Amino acid sequence: MKRDRNYKILALKIAAPVIAMILAALISSLIILAIDKNPLQVFYTMFKFSFSRLDSIAIIFFNATPLIFSALAVSIGFKMGLFNIGIEGQYLIGTFLAALVGFSLKGLPAAIHLPLVIMAGIAGGMLWSFIPIFLKVKRGVHEVISTIMLNYVAYSLIHYLIADVFKDKQQSLVEGLGSVLVRTPKLAESALIPKMHGFLSIFGIQLPKHVYLNWFFPIGILLAVGIYYLVSYTPFGYELRAVGHNPEASKIAGIKPDIVYLKGFLLSGAVAGLVGLSDLLGYFKYMDMDFPQGYGFDGIAVALIAQNNPFGIIASAMLFGFLKRGSEGIQALLKVPMDTIVILQSLMIIFIVVITKIINDYVKRLEKKEAA
Amino acid sequence: MLTAELLASSLRMAVPILLTAIGAVYTERSGIVNIGLEGMMIVGSFWASVGAYFYGPFVGILFAMLAGAFLALIHSVTTVTFGVNQVVSGVALNILAYGASRFLSLVIFGKATTSHHVSGFSPIDVPILSDIPFLKLLFTDISPIVITALILVPISKYIIDNTVFGLRLRAVGENPLAADTLGINVFAMRYAGVIISGMLAGMAGAYLTMEHTGMYVEGMTQGKGYIAMAAMIFGNWTPTGTLWASLLFGFAEALSLRAGEGSIIPYQFIKMIPYLLTLAVLTGIVKKATPPAASGEPYDRSIG
Amino acid sequence: MEEAVVLKNITKRFPGIVANDRVNLQIQKGEIHAIVGENGAGKSTLMKILAGLYQPDEGEIYIFGKKEKIASPNKAIELKIGMVHQHFMLIDRFTVLENIILGAEKKKGIAIDKKTCRQTIKKLLDLYNFNLDLDAKLEDISVGHAQRVEIIKVLYRGADILVLDEPTAVLAPQEVDELFVNLRRLKEEGKTIIFISHKLDEVLNIADNITVLRRGKAVGTVSADSVTKEELAKMMVGKPVLMKLDKAAAEKSDVKLSLHNIVMKGNGGKNSLNGVSLEVCGGEIYGIVGVEGNGQKELAEAVIGLRQDYQGDIKVCGKPIHGLSIKQIRDSGVAFIPEDRHRQGLVLPMKVWENSILGFHRKDKFKKGMFINIKKAEEFTLNNVKEFSIMISSIHQEIEGLSGGNQQKVILSRELSQEPEVILAAQPTRGLDIGAMEFVHRQLLQKRQEGKAILLISADLEEVLSLSDRIGVIFDGEIVAEFAPEEKTLEDIGVYMLGAHRKAGESA
Repeated sequence: MKRDRNYKILALKIAAPVIAMILAALISSLIILAIDKNPLQVFYTMFKFSFSRLDSIAIIFFNATPLIFSALAVSIGFKMGLFNIGIEGQYLIGTFLAALVGFSLKGLPAAIHLPLVIMAGIAGGMLWSFIPIFLKVKRGVHEVISTIMLNYVAYSLIHYLIADVFKDKQQSLVEGLGSVLVRTPKLAESALIPKMHGFLSIFGIQLPKHVYLNWFFPIGILLAVGIYYLVSYTPFGYELRAVGHNPEASKIAGIKPDIVYLKGFLLSGAVAGLVGLSDLLGYFKYMDMDFPQGYGFDGIAVALIAQNNPFGIIASAMLFGFLKRGSEGIQALLKVPMDTIVILQSLMIIFIVVITKIINDYVKRLEKKEAA
Repeated sequence: MLTAELLASSLRMAVPILLTAIGAVYTERSGIVNIGLEGMMIVGSFWASVGAYFYGPFVGILFAMLAGAFLALIHSVTTVTFGVNQVVSGVALNILAYGASRFLSLVIFGKATTSHHVSGFSPIDVPILSDIPFLKLLFTDISPIVITALILVPISKYIIDNTVFGLRLRAVGENPLAADTLGINVFAMRYAGVIISGMLAGMAGAYLTMEHTGMYVEGMTQGKGYIAMAAMIFGNWTPTGTLWASLLFGFAEALSLRAGEGSIIPYQFIKMIPYLLTLAVLTGIVKKATPPAASGEPYDRSIG
Repeated sequence: MEEAVVLKNITKRFPGIVANDRVNLQIQKGEIHAIVGENGAGKSTLMKILAGLYQPDEGEIYIFGKKEKIASPNKAIELKIGMVHQHFMLIDRFTVLENIILGAEKKKGIAIDKKTCRQTIKKLLDLYNFNLDLDAKLEDISVGHAQRVEIIKVLYRGADILVLDEPTAVLAPQEVDELFVNLRRLKEEGKTIIFISHKLDEVLNIADNITVLRRGKAVGTVSADSVTKEELAKMMVGKPVLMKLDKAAAEKSDVKLSLHNIVMKGNGGKNSLNGVSLEVCGGEIYGIVGVEGNGQKELAEAVIGLRQDYQGDIKVCGKPIHGLSIKQIRDSGVAFIPEDRHRQGLVLPMKVWENSILGFHRKDKFKKGMFINIKKAEEFTLNNVKEFSIMISSIHQEIEGLSGGNQQKVILSRELSQEPEVILAAQPTRGLDIGAMEFVHRQLLQKRQEGKAILLISADLEEVLSLSDRIGVIFDGEIVAEFAPEEKTLEDIGVYMLGAHRKAGESA
């Protein structure tokens, strides 16, 4: 009988994202109907556009890459009961430090330069996550507020560094523009991440040039696996979860919650430092003020849908990657605004948190009844 | 003259922060953290352009407040009724607001990022004050929303400090269990606090669209919803404190616009001031922050 | 005389226990009626039923002669029943005035009519001769005053029946005196007062009639004039059924745990520990008894290292532990069975096997490279499950789903399996059914047999009497008496616990 119940709980846990997706799709359908389009056709087009060609699938993987890192970073925070809403700032600082190492060091072999650049990104993320966790542990400042504030400090700081300190003055003047573009110098070739084209061609998969899928994608997957093992099977991961669920009992058991918070948040920041690198080292090759923002918040969404499971994160990051690709498709082919999909995504988040909460409460009541 | 002009500019910059921050006071004092204020400002700024474009400024501001209230209603349902994590709900609403506004802008105005030009209220002069020489620039030719925002400060102070509603609002934010045992409807009070915050954030959005820019532009809120939260914290969760904080933050923004090339402090650093000050307050370096005791905690009677 | 409250056959069950078992109670109008009983006797449950917070499963309630159903706190207020909770339902950042009127504000338009409110309260204060500064913030006033606020709060709502739940638990002696003056004044004005307590002196001092609850049952109502403290104590504790335990003589060895002159500051300038000294030898169970809140919790926290802000020495097997981390103290051979297993002992959403290694998860035997050796941990858990006959469907089950007894067994098996030299057991059987309780007792005796030193802190007098080799009575942060269980009668112990013979205890 108890075994039955365990299956029931598992089924309910899986059901949550599915129900959320269906509800979100239903409401989105109403929106699509309201603009005189056919929802079925829209969804069909999304799938067809996304999956009928290999390069399109590769683009989905490329889209998913930063989200995997971002959601993993968020999930580490959630595991210990902390909300790292500062991924946004952490990855901007990380990306900038990586760019700095990338354009200021010259003449290094790629085997040295690229790891250095990646380490700079990690260091940047850790630096920007150290401030809020230090303030929390030492002064009791709530991490949500401090990380939001630090996001904006990071925006301004990066703006200053790019526009005033490290602006690339070597660029040729753009026609009609009075000055050079506000961006950093280009990164050295040795700092860039190789694309996966060569590797994939071994298997007969030929990707066109306009696809930017690079090695950060497999790195992200490996990292997810690593974090899964770290959280589930190492003493540190064990402490992370114990402190997340019950800091008092953990403390009495001899674990120091503050140390766990510190280490865990730095780890979260380190992962966050990698979020922007696929774009920086695999696509733009310089950093400017229009460097993509919002991965931090999307990462929260991805982690929530995956319920903080690293493998679930890979899947839901792919889902978001697909939604982005699909939204480009429906805009191009059907003239349905791609923002329909942004609405769908946000509805999905709202539904998933409400549904999981209801399910969890229900399961708890079920268990209470059984224990009694 | 330059100072008066700078002050006038600070006031204009402060108004959207102030309106939203007053709203933040209501929601936080009821015990609900509302990160979604940014999103409520966004929908407010968009719906103001719709209302104002088709029906004039009064409908513009009405639409904006309704849109903000609608988003706030969703926040109440998820956080108060279902007890969902308040930060998560707010983050989701911000994404929703961003996507929905782009979508609707495209549908209604044909462009995702801007609306058509809209006109706001006719500027007015404040009697008496506008006759005083130094204050002339501050109180001549200003938007009625500016005056509304300023008047809302003492009104909110009165409501929160002296009315039955205010007392009960504060009670559920401080100790919902105690309030519940005294027969106060905790849920109703929290719904009210959150929805008021949505309406005021919507009004702030309307100000940006109708009075500041003359059209809706994507991203025009520039994180002012978050600055408003900072102002509310800096103002120690009170309407009056919020006023001074908003003026200070508005001043920082006005200053950063003026600090061009060659100024001693780069304008980006001036822009950081609100955030750094708020962090300083929270760490207790400047003064002690005293958030409502039950802020951020869902209330569930069965646990008590 | 008219009866203010009549309870007939009130029964209230919670999962696993019957909190109130066919309780009958009659309270006259205008009397002070005390309800006494040990912790867990069902006093608070009964009063929460009266206050509309709980619904009885069976039974009838009559208020001023009319049969009523008290469905909510609001209904209780309507019936003129006012509850003064043990944990005050007050808002720290509000003024006294705001706290009193909240939810029953007198209005002028939308505004609070503070003037009328103030006048109404002033009248009450004058009538009952209470002294309160209405404009002070609650966080700035003393506990005694805060309690007065609670009382005025219910009077302001027109209460005629006042229920005070352990009102003296938080008060200093002078404050207790003031409270009693206030209560007598209320009685003079015709109010009915229900006074819940386990402090017999106070009850005899203030009450007209006393009803004794024991294990959920009302064992009798007596008039305060016609009963002695000793008789009352007997009614409260009942006849101690000393459980037939296989308590073989154990060989007492060296001192394994020693506390020397431990002083710890408490709230409000009073010391929560006031020079506690004791020694526990191997092969011995040392039981600490006392009325709750006399320093038991702090004592345990000092030994396990949760609190370091004390003076004095604590030694484990001869080595001082002051300043060591919790982990170091545990590693030096101290096992801890905390009093609140949900908050302090377990991580509820984690699995049974994970909870079984909590605190020992970094031990070499559970290690495989950088990972936890799950196989070893599972084997270990399965072994514990068998040895302690823990009823579970799987060791991968979340521990949340286990019954209280089985959860406690997981803690016990975890703590005892690490071969500790000193076992600190705080309320180890609280909330357990008889079967689980006996199991815990057998385990503790077993460890005693093996030569471990056991410090047992318990509110259950029977438990301490039947298990311990020596007993220390703690009162006001001091061990006021120390003796072997057979040396003293129950009455004597009760008297020590109540602090009456403090001087005598010191000389003992």
